[in-house]
Amino acid sequence: MSFEELFRDFWWLMFPIFGMGMGLLGMISSERRSREVMNVIKSYVDQGKEVPPELLRMAQSDWEAPAQPQQRAPNSNLWTFFTFAAMAAGFSVAWWYVRGELWSISFLVVAVTFGVLAFGALVIAITSRRS
Amino acid sequence: MRPVWAAGRPEMTEELFRDFWWLMFPVFGMVMAILGAVRNGAYQDRVIRDARENLERN
Repeated sequence: MSFEELFRDFWWLMFPIFGMGMGLLGMISSERRSREVMNVIKSYVDQGKEVPPELLRMAQSDWEAPAQPQQRAPNSNLWTFFTFAAMAAGFSVAWWYVRGELWSISFLVVAVTFGVLAFGALVIAITSRRS
Repeated sequence: MRPVWAAGRPEMTEELFRDFWWLMFPVFGMVMAILGAVRNGAYQDRVIRDARENLERN
């Protein structure tokens, strides 16, 4: 099997591999930096000095963000819906153009995934407006 | 002239580029994402280093 054949069969693998790599690197570096930030903050507090605001912001974004739900703009869910819907439409058109090819199923899978996400975003937008 | 390691292998065809030219856009996005992550990491490292140096100086 030549490189070209291998690439034609498995080109789509670059996306999940990239996602996994970025996720893994982000997790490792975030954990290391969080530990460093806390160590420096602890040193400042131990010496009775004022902690630099940038450090506090970094610590806040590391630890408090997952615990506190972010205040989102009322229309952000609607924008999410439009974004996902546009992506679904784009990939649907791409699938339609190449539907004769065997690998066109990848476009269809992505289009359906974005369609489901768009539907979910629309439901969230409608229910959050009521509440 | 082709390199020695490529001897006997078929050349990468023009059709490969015709079929996959659109990949340059997601690849560009991935490169930009990597650059953004590196810049963000460098900024955070600089903040930590400055804070540590400031602590040691005073």
